[in-house]
Amino acid sequence: MNYDATTGTTLARQIARGERSAIEVLEDTLGCIAATDGRVNAFTSKTVARARAEAAAVDVRRMHGEVLPALAGVPFAVKNLFDISGEVTLAGSIVNKGHEPAKEDAFLVQRMRAAGAVLVGALNMDEYAYGFTTENSHYGPCHNPHDLTRIAGGSSGGSGAAVAAGQVPITLGSDTNGSIRVPASLCGVWGLKPTFGRLSRRGSYPFVHSIDHLGPLADSVGSLALAYDAMQSPDPLDPGCHAVAIEPTAAALQKGVQGLRIGVLGGYFHDNATAPARAAVKAAAKVLGAMDEVKWPDAALGRAAAFIISASEGGTLHLDDLRARAQDFEPLSVDRFISGALQPAAWYLQAQRFRRLYRDKVNALFEQWDVLLAPATPVSAPVIGTEWLDINGQQQPCRPSMGLLTQPVSFAGCPVVAAPFWPEGTGGLPIGVQIITAPWREDLALRAAMVLQTVGVSHLKTPAL
Amino acid sequence: MTDAQTLAYVQASAIALRLPLDTAQAQRVAVHMQRTAALAQLLDDLHLPPELEKAQIYVPKTHLPLESST
Repeated sequence: MNYDATTGTTLARQIARGERSAIEVLEDTLGCIAATDGRVNAFTSKTVARARAEAAAVDVRRMHGEVLPALAGVPFAVKNLFDISGEVTLAGSIVNKGHEPAKEDAFLVQRMRAAGAVLVGALNMDEYAYGFTTENSHYGPCHNPHDLTRIAGGSSGGSGAAVAAGQVPITLGSDTNGSIRVPASLCGVWGLKPTFGRLSRRGSYPFVHSIDHLGPLADSVGSLALAYDAMQSPDPLDPGCHAVAIEPTAAALQKGVQGLRIGVLGGYFHDNATAPARAAVKAAAKVLGAMDEVKWPDAALGRAAAFIISASEGGTLHLDDLRARAQDFEPLSVDRFISGALQPAAWYLQAQRFRRLYRDKVNALFEQWDVLLAPATPVSAPVIGTEWLDINGQQQPCRPSMGLLTQPVSFAGCPVVAAPFWPEGTGGLPIGVQIITAPWREDLALRAAMVLQTVGVSHLKTPAL
Repeated sequence: MTDAQTLAYVQASAIALRLPLDTAQAQRVAVHMQRTAALAQLLDDLHLPPELEKAQIYVPKTHLPLESST
């Protein structure tokens, strides 16, 4: 797929004008998946019959002269922790294979369908979302489309790789500690982790109730905003959904960043980033006019607390299965799940009490600033199977370290757009930049992202697959 | 905690939670527990004020405007 010509927004326009049919677009999409996924391994299942029915319905509506919704005929796919009616929700596991098929689509899949988007399948991920690499032992590792020997990131690895490979323009993922932003960074695509509580999580398989977010990855800022807008809705049936109104962003993407106070996160975010990651941020800062270095409060403590809460809630969620069939869990994460389940309550409660203090400090920071920039990952994509990373002379365990720069931000619940950059020193691989704003200000992050895209410094690249 | 103390903690708490662990797996779990203990120490050093409640999402009941519930 050529990203200059066929982004999701372009497809939506072409279908709405009758320049292409939804069926034609769908068949191209299925052809691309068939031609590339043997090497990428982004998809774990395809919903071909359903997709053909949905695409045909879009074409019938257009023939009848109906005004089509914003994403009519645009193909998309979802991380396999989203419920798809009639399918078993695997969440990357084999343990869940014995579960009943979902009775209805997840709330966000319903919202995408209502906007006319066509679901083509479910995507690879780390088991139960506990990982940053999508080296899934049950379903095989997801390969980075820009270098098939390397990871796609995780836990929404299939969601990042499918967009990067040009298989679909939009995917959905989840992000507890960085699981949208890490694959977006390593695959070189756009990602949005909204405010904690913005989008309903109903009908998705949980990892950490206290921190789980859902959101889109996409081939352009326009596609990202259209998907995000389509999915917004209050949902009183998700206790973690705090949205009270739909606040659309797509119409205001071109407003620019004039007058916004934009800074670059230093300290922890500088120290835990390699030179290419810093260069990516510098390039973004130059375009956005960000001159000042800003200190994020208690970043290391925020990361520690997120780590402890994730381990404890994640481990406890699976305690019954860990007792009965630990041998069926992912070998790369089962010991972490068990460790989390055994953690002292005092660690967990201290982390949860700290989180309230942390929230207040982060909110105070955004009284001074509108947009803050930081790298999304310390490095570009490592080779599959890498155990240790060298980050500025420090040997760090590879798998948890991929979330070093994302965890402190999601723990505060702030919205973040991950923007794809291609700095020198990575052998041609991407590294993302986090565009961070105050809670409930996704609009500002998307506006800044649009500036970066329009100027041309942040964009996708077509991989040689 | 020393490595031996961490392993002893893992084995004892696994018994308390009825989670069967052989020695090899307990040792692998203890490596993770030791890493997490170092992070927990950072937070333990904070001495948070007693009135600081934990962050939470619990609400007793979803609040709906009166007119929508009559």
